[in-house]
Amino acid sequence: MVDGQVLKLALLGSLNWLAAHQEEVNRLNVFPVPDGDTGTNMLLTLQSAVEDIKDSPATDVGRIARIAAHGSLMGARGNSGVILSQIFRGFAKAVEGKTELGPAEVAAAFEEAANAAYRAVLKPTEGTILTVAREAGRSATAAAGDPRATVTSVIKAAAEGARKAVERTPSQLQILRDAGVVDAGGFGLQVMLEGMLTSVEAPAAAVSRGEGVAARPAAQTAMDLPEEGWGYCTEFLITGEDMDVDHIREQIAALGDSVLVVGEPELVKVHVHTNDPPRVIGLAGSFGRLEKLNVGDMSTQHRRILEEAQPNGSGGGEHQGRANNTGLVAVVSGSGLVEIFKGLGVDAIVQGGQTMNPSTGDLVSAVDGVPYDEVLLLPNNKNVVLAAREVDKLATKKVHLVETHTMPQGIAAVIAFNAEKPALANAEAMTRAARQVQTIEVTRAVRDTRSNGRRVKKGDVIAVVNDRLDTAGSDYADVVADALQKLGPDKFELVTVYRGADAGDAEVDALSASLHERFPGLEVEVQAGGQDHYPFIVSVE
Amino acid sequence: MVPLKVLFGQESFRDGVDLSSDQFFDRLRQADRLPTTSAPSPGEFAAAYERLAKECEGVISIHIGSRLSATVEAARVGAQSVEGFPVRVVDSGSVTMAVAFLCQVAAQSPSLEEAVRRVEERVPKQRIIALLDTLRYIEMGGRVNRAQAMIGNMLDLKPVLGVADGQIKPLDRVRTRGRAILRIVELLRDDYPLEHVAVMHAQAPDEAQRIVDEISPELEKVGVEVATGQIGAVLGTHVGPKALGFAYLKR
Repeated sequence: MVDGQVLKLALLGSLNWLAAHQEEVNRLNVFPVPDGDTGTNMLLTLQSAVEDIKDSPATDVGRIARIAAHGSLMGARGNSGVILSQIFRGFAKAVEGKTELGPAEVAAAFEEAANAAYRAVLKPTEGTILTVAREAGRSATAAAGDPRATVTSVIKAAAEGARKAVERTPSQLQILRDAGVVDAGGFGLQVMLEGMLTSVEAPAAAVSRGEGVAARPAAQTAMDLPEEGWGYCTEFLITGEDMDVDHIREQIAALGDSVLVVGEPELVKVHVHTNDPPRVIGLAGSFGRLEKLNVGDMSTQHRRILEEAQPNGSGGGEHQGRANNTGLVAVVSGSGLVEIFKGLGVDAIVQGGQTMNPSTGDLVSAVDGVPYDEVLLLPNNKNVVLAAREVDKLATKKVHLVETHTMPQGIAAVIAFNAEKPALANAEAMTRAARQVQTIEVTRAVRDTRSNGRRVKKGDVIAVVNDRLDTAGSDYADVVADALQKLGPDKFELVTVYRGADAGDAEVDALSASLHERFPGLEVEVQAGGQDHYPFIVSVE
Repeated sequence: MVPLKVLFGQESFRDGVDLSSDQFFDRLRQADRLPTTSAPSPGEFAAAYERLAKECEGVISIHIGSRLSATVEAARVGAQSVEGFPVRVVDSGSVTMAVAFLCQVAAQSPSLEEAVRRVEERVPKQRIIALLDTLRYIEMGGRVNRAQAMIGNMLDLKPVLGVADGQIKPLDRVRTRGRAILRIVELLRDDYPLEHVAVMHAQAPDEAQRIVDEISPELEKVGVEVATGQIGAVLGTHVGPKALGFAYLKR
């Protein structure tokens, strides 16, 4: 039977397992661009759920599930995180008021979890986390029909159903097939169910993870979060000779939790959550040479990074309320872009975007901090849209979503804001304005892939035009000009180039000169964007 | 005509009398401090009314909107000091050529009462749409602030303002001047049909002419002549050089 304590342990198991496989999930992105990492987003969402239940004295499963659902919703990041929070919500709804669950009830709750996830998405797509959740539920129900069924056998069936569904995702979605990957969100859910299984089956034992994915030792022994919090997620590779992997794992495990130490005598990969990264690094350094060292502060990772914009822009003078009592909140990354959004009158900026998706909770805090009764919320990123859609339900303000997918769309939308008109009319006008802007995002491919029948090699310059991978080449100026040519330059007047943090002066000059030369009829402006990962974001209007 | 005044430091000029539009904008560009503007005094109005009392049976006195200037108030006080002579002060709620159109309507009326009726009927129908090259002047004049206009010094944004019901309101903000000109024409067309319209400019004659050429054919077809006018010193102090727009009466 599953009571509140078992569910708590099961979710801790999910969390630890997902933490160990976070990078594996992250690597499954479809476009070869630096993007909101699915594994990280799901992990932070799950972490927020677990943080909320770990101190709860509740023993009945209904209450624990409800707290976890709320925690996951506040911590939901990225589209996969939001769908995960809906899965929790469906589960919680199905077990409402119950003290403990038998096998059939667990299966029914899994089914309802999948249904809730489907309902949360406007246009459900098969071959995603949704399909995986549904197949997990169906397999669980089938297993629960067996008279000898136990909670463990049901969860095992769910994990197995999820694994099979994940394997099938490339046959359901062309983009997965092209990229040669399985669906990241679906795989994340599979990992969570497997983690759940390890903790209900036998908390200390290893678990076979089936074919296709190499079995890994269940290195995480501690099932509880340390009192001090998460500390630092520390990752690196050790290169050396004749290294003893088991010995290294033992030593590292003494310094933290969520420990993953795998590899060969020549190359060992280490992942650990520790409160003392220098000690871990010092110890590891004694085994060999460290590479790809990455230390992240887990306790601040999900903390809101919110900056209050000057309510008066750069003009000074006393604060004056807006006639329509409506504030503006935008998700923005890049110092130059933050300045532009502030200068245009945005009241609060939530830092984030391509690689760091803010959580629903971050957005709610920003919205509630604005001194107006209604708020227009601009996600400015496709992967933030679902989290933004949840904000109205949770915030004390009336929230209108202006569904912007890119920074240029966001800028066009903010420019269209009129303080004399009511919030709803503004939301419509701003959405219209955003749709009239074309966006070209330029970066380098992070891995090999295929696009429109062409091979794209890691390191190639690629242009993502209005959320679709479009042109590729070796030179920024050529790729942007080609993308612009495809859009049909005669239909537009103004090209704005937002220069990223990594764009050099020579590259900016070359791009600007090439655009002037090839499209003499277009006005070209260069602005400091300061965004990471994308040397150029180009707005065409 | 009772002119408003524009003051550069201690020097005072009567708008359209002592200073032409071009002379004014040249001075405005060179001035280290912005000029101030001032409404005529009640005494000046009283003197004008007394002069007119010798020639006419009554006066309709049409002025800049009371929310934008103290002119109407001065006229009312001035009118009280003239006895036995009817002075009807009308708050136009607007500025520039829009006021002139109302005067035209009044001049064509058969009687004072009819003039007042016709003018007051048209007051709610008049509009100004203006594209400013910069917010600097209107902001320093205290007529609008940056927070209201939601505009910063970036992305070459041009504020488009409107005057309706006696108040200045931000209508839009548009990237680049070329696009802003297209936008004000679009906003004007949204208000068709018109009774009167003028293209107003502050040292932007070529752009003004292009707009006239663009809208004249469609308006002449319905019997509306497109007037042009330079923005004078008093309004120019607030909108700044290169301002461009329309004053019009909706039908």
